[in-house]
Amino acid sequence: MEGVAALERDAQLMLRVREGDESSFALLLNQHRRPVVHFLFRMVQNRAISEELAQEVFLRVYRSRGSYQPTAKFTTWLFRIATHVALNWIRDGKNERGHKSLEEEVIEGVGRQIPDRRPTVEHRMLTDVRLDEVRRAIDALPAKQRAAVVMHKYHELDYDRISQALGISESALKSLLFRAYETLRERLSHLA
Amino acid sequence: MICLSKNKRDTAILLEYCAGTLDIERAGALENHARECAECRALIAAQTKVWRALGELAVPEVSPDFDARLYARIAREGAASPWRRWWPSLRAWSWKPVLAGIAAAAVVAVGLSLYLPALHMPKSQDSFQQLRPDSVDVEQVEVTLEDLDMLTPPAAYTGKL
Repeated sequence: MEGVAALERDAQLMLRVREGDESSFALLLNQHRRPVVHFLFRMVQNRAISEELAQEVFLRVYRSRGSYQPTAKFTTWLFRIATHVALNWIRDGKNERGHKSLEEEVIEGVGRQIPDRRPTVEHRMLTDVRLDEVRRAIDALPAKQRAAVVMHKYHELDYDRISQALGISESALKSLLFRAYETLRERLSHLA
Repeated sequence: MICLSKNKRDTAILLEYCAGTLDIERAGALENHARECAECRALIAAQTKVWRALGELAVPEVSPDFDARLYARIAREGAASPWRRWWPSLRAWSWKPVLAGIAAAAVVAVGLSLYLPALHMPKSQDSFQQLRPDSVDVEQVEVTLEDLDMLTPPAAYTGKL
């Protein structure tokens, strides 16, 4: 069958999961665990919650194996589920986090990516403040704008796939991204 | 000519340029234009700053026991009763459209229950006009009476003498 032969690898794996092949699910999990957890971490800014939500995402993937149809790219489908889970969590007001958790994450070293071979206390504090500001600026975006920016910036998904994941048109997505980046430019304009 | 400040549709170009994914030709055109347009220059600088700042944020590694926890949940779910298995999905499902549909159906039902009986009830004076004896066609009355005679069984059939 031409259609099946043309299917992407992940969709084929998912079809095998549908047939009861558990090892294919393990392969999918191995492939997409990090991107999904990282996407959710950027959405909720909390490690434990992002992992909890990621578990929910993979649980839903597993639950829906019986009815899976490869109508879209697997990652688009996966990110649609992840976005849905994240937006639900945010909508339900479960993101009542204090500033403490942000600080804790910074202390754990999560917030740093710049090579910092000889960090003085002052330099480290400045970096932490800067990263905290960036994190807060993202956190302050409306949930859909945040999801769009995260998928666009960190997961390098194209407009077509982001719009599918968010369930909006491509033109609506462009407008969403325009507003989100405009807000970020304003909020982060004072950064060096 | 590409002027980002004048044409909002070119936002995609700005984002692609800062992400380094814009094709060389259009990137060159944008750079040439930005040399002469201070507004576009400022916009590119601001977006580049945001792009870099976002890039500085790191993410934590996934916990080593992530898979084990997930498989334990899958196993628990497999062992649970069907109702308990579907309950999280039902809870997570958006009921808003269903509730809106039920509300709309209720409004229609109430409307119909008020409107339909009114159709079958005799309406004030107009209805009485139709029932007035002088407005009844005599010929039609005779036909009706004949029909009644035909329908009435003969005395032999009723058992009466």
